[in-house]
Amino acid sequence: MPALADIATIARWEVKRTLTQMSKDTLPLAIVLFVLLVLVTGFAAQSGMHLQDGMYVVGVDNPSIAQLLSSDSRFTVYQLDSVALFSNRQFFDVIIVHEQVYGSTTERGKSALKTIERDYTKYTNHVYNQQDDLYSAYPLWIDIQNVKSELNFLATQSGKYISATPSNIAPVPESEVHGIPTPSPTLGFSQEELRTELTKSETGNSQISRYTEMLSSDSSRGRFKTPSQLSPPLPFDSIILIFVFIFPLYFTSQFFMMSIMNERIEHKGEVLLSTPVRTGSIIIGKSLPYLIGMLAISVGLTAYLKASPLIILPLIPVIFFFLANALIIGMVSRSFKELSFISIFFSTVATSYLFFPSIFANVHVISLISPLTLIILTLQGTTYTITDYLFSTSLFWLTSTVLFYVAVKNFKEERLFSEKRLLPRIREFIAESASKIHPFVSLFLLNGFAIPFVFMVQLMCLVLFFNLPMPYSLVLLIIFAAGIEELTKSVGIYTFYSQDVNFLSWKNLIIGCFVTAVGFLVGEKLLLLITIAQITESVFGSILFLSLGTLWLPLLLHFAGVFVVCCALKFGGRKWFVPGLIAATAIHCLYNFYFILGWIT
Amino acid sequence: MKARHLSIIIRKEFRGLLNERTILLAVLLQLFIAMFSSFLMVGLTSMYDPSSLSKYSRFKYNIAYTGNDSALHDYLDKSPDFIVYDMDLSTAVTTLKERKIAAVIYVPDTAPDAIDPVKVTLYTIQNDLQSAIVNVKLKDIFLKYEKDLRNIRGTRLTEQPIPLKLPQAPSGGDFYEFVYGLLIPLLVFMPAIISSALVIDLITEEYQHETLETLISTPVTFAEMVWSKVIACELLVPIQAGAWLLLLLLNGITIENVPLIIIQVTLTSFIPILLGALTALHYRERTAAQFIFSTALVVVILFVIALPANPLNLLTKLAVGTAGTEQWFVLASVIVISIFLSIATQWYANRVGRDHLSI
Repeated sequence: MPALADIATIARWEVKRTLTQMSKDTLPLAIVLFVLLVLVTGFAAQSGMHLQDGMYVVGVDNPSIAQLLSSDSRFTVYQLDSVALFSNRQFFDVIIVHEQVYGSTTERGKSALKTIERDYTKYTNHVYNQQDDLYSAYPLWIDIQNVKSELNFLATQSGKYISATPSNIAPVPESEVHGIPTPSPTLGFSQEELRTELTKSETGNSQISRYTEMLSSDSSRGRFKTPSQLSPPLPFDSIILIFVFIFPLYFTSQFFMMSIMNERIEHKGEVLLSTPVRTGSIIIGKSLPYLIGMLAISVGLTAYLKASPLIILPLIPVIFFFLANALIIGMVSRSFKELSFISIFFSTVATSYLFFPSIFANVHVISLISPLTLIILTLQGTTYTITDYLFSTSLFWLTSTVLFYVAVKNFKEERLFSEKRLLPRIREFIAESASKIHPFVSLFLLNGFAIPFVFMVQLMCLVLFFNLPMPYSLVLLIIFAAGIEELTKSVGIYTFYSQDVNFLSWKNLIIGCFVTAVGFLVGEKLLLLITIAQITESVFGSILFLSLGTLWLPLLLHFAGVFVVCCALKFGGRKWFVPGLIAATAIHCLYNFYFILGWIT
Repeated sequence: MKARHLSIIIRKEFRGLLNERTILLAVLLQLFIAMFSSFLMVGLTSMYDPSSLSKYSRFKYNIAYTGNDSALHDYLDKSPDFIVYDMDLSTAVTTLKERKIAAVIYVPDTAPDAIDPVKVTLYTIQNDLQSAIVNVKLKDIFLKYEKDLRNIRGTRLTEQPIPLKLPQAPSGGDFYEFVYGLLIPLLVFMPAIISSALVIDLITEEYQHETLETLISTPVTFAEMVWSKVIACELLVPIQAGAWLLLLLLNGITIENVPLIIIQVTLTSFIPILLGALTALHYRERTAAQFIFSTALVVVILFVIALPANPLNLLTKLAVGTAGTEQWFVLASVIVISIFLSIATQWYANRVGRDHLSI
């Protein structure tokens, strides 16, 4: 296989060049910095984070309370007598006189009061944990039994609260009643076992947990909980671990980005392109060392943490996604500045997409849109199914594949060694990937393959808007989803139009719009087959993918949208592109509102 | 060093930034981070304290009470959040599976003053938003009941904690620590980090695009070239930080000492920017310089945050208005470090410049 030999040669070159470039005096310094990093991490873990020191000013008349509060560095504590405290009340956020706490009404005062409340709970817990008779300090224990609902989660998401219709008569089950054994009244653990569990959750890095304790008490995994532990656990440790996994991936993809950029600077890559090696082999060869490196890091970390090797599986599509994006970013940017900014922007958006949903790993199914949730679940000891895996990774696989294809198509002299603004450049990239001889086939494929990206952006919006109160989240989601879809559909035709203004004859326009609409619809359907039900069944999903019923209606809608944009382009020129887009979005929104609202009421 | 030479190059760099619209990306980036963190916060809070979103508090949830009668029953009855039905356990759990009720509680036959603890069994639906909300609401009721039981068994405790009477928890103040203790120092300091990455790009670009020789052949000296790039990046810091503070103020977040915060950030940002410039001068190649610099930056920031009275902590204190005289000591030490780094940069740039002349 000559292609394999080519790939191996290029991969060897890449490794050799990176190493010679790095080893000058980078490597020794990098090692020194790494050692320093370990030392500093140790120091920071010991000393804690001092970001919020001295935020509040507190006045106290009792020395033991003063001592209690000054152990929290957020407070600056003054010990005065009660008269002085009351006369200088406006100076303090909170004063404590004769064991009574008085908070000021400012935002800072309220926040200080809440902090004292949490500190005090922690203190009382500490005292109670020492008690010999643990059951007089903790007389109540809750045993949470999770029940799998026969209805899926769409019920609570559709804005209806099925269970919440109040009536005087107790609800009656419709299905057959299965006998539930009466729970045993005893805990089945000794006092000492429970005490260790309690003290374990008591200690822990207070400086870090400060950010999380306002949300949940702790992620104690014991089955029995005292009432104060009764909040959904935040998988905090796992989330930190995820950063440990993702961070090296960023660094490695940065190197890849830079290697691509270096080929472009001063035409250095010209030699490579003049060899009789296919561009596909060049790209695979160049990315192979980085891919192997990233995989090695992930495997190494997994082995070091003694975690289940299953967590590598969700990481693989993420690695491909990073590589594909690094490749495109390296090919698109004009200068180092641009490279820096685009890559920082990309990594922030990607981290948010990956990271944010995984916080809700224990709370909500929606968290599965991030592959990292699978890692958290594995770390917590829950297994995931193949459906879960397909659902959360398919978009990453698909988008990476499309991006690699675009990169291979564009990896040639006139693209690599020219400098253009970002947007025209992206347009050029799309144009290059499309065929000029068969424009309609290209339009069809382009729109079909754009679907994974559309889904990704829309899911991102879903995550963002999910937190807003119900009517707003729906309205915003409808508008954004429509806007994104219309924009995507118009990209293909706009590209053809900008290459040749005369492309938009009436015949071409109609066929083009039709082909775009069909391509979009087919892509949507195919992807739905993969990602199945999970999200599509909730009301949010039905906005995004409102084409489950009859086929001709969504087809007509997609057609109408592109048609409006095309007419705007044909008659008004480029200036009318954006207004046309807005008009199309408006039509799309009206359609969605009509159906969604009709469906809800 | 001639001011005219400096200003020419500074203007050239700004033109480049504006032309490429990279600065637009930077602004977009910050906006995105701010939007995301606030969404994150609202989302998390609503998840763990659902009453913060009024929409959830309107609803009454159906609860099944099974097992033996207790004071818990009265608390549930009195609660405005629940409608309680007395049911038998098996029927109740089946009804729960059909989502006609939100939770089932089973209370055993344990006396309040018994030696053993009272073990209540709570049946809820797995991985469900509504269950999360119900759990939080039930938590308050369980806490009340726990307090009662603790009082009944109080004589058996060997040590009582120092009593403290806390007023009824006020509403609001949830986001205060997050906004002032994390978001503001982070967002305000972010321009400094962006600028220091930028200065590396600007300097290595001259080397790697081989435009340096042309630049040196003009009357501009090498040191002037370096300093104008440093100043160009430095000028961006107060502009971006100021824009941030303005945005936060427009969002109704009151920030005290705005001018002092901007001065503090601008002076502190000299440290990372000069460090960046030194790294770039040393490596003359972007990959290595950015790699070393970003690793070093992580080390430095981790170290600084672990120190008490660090500049980032000072930003928090200035923003909430509790900063005292210690701020001037922090400022002074920042200035001393900056001067030291400036001298190092000047010396290094002169040395590199001489090398270029001798070639």
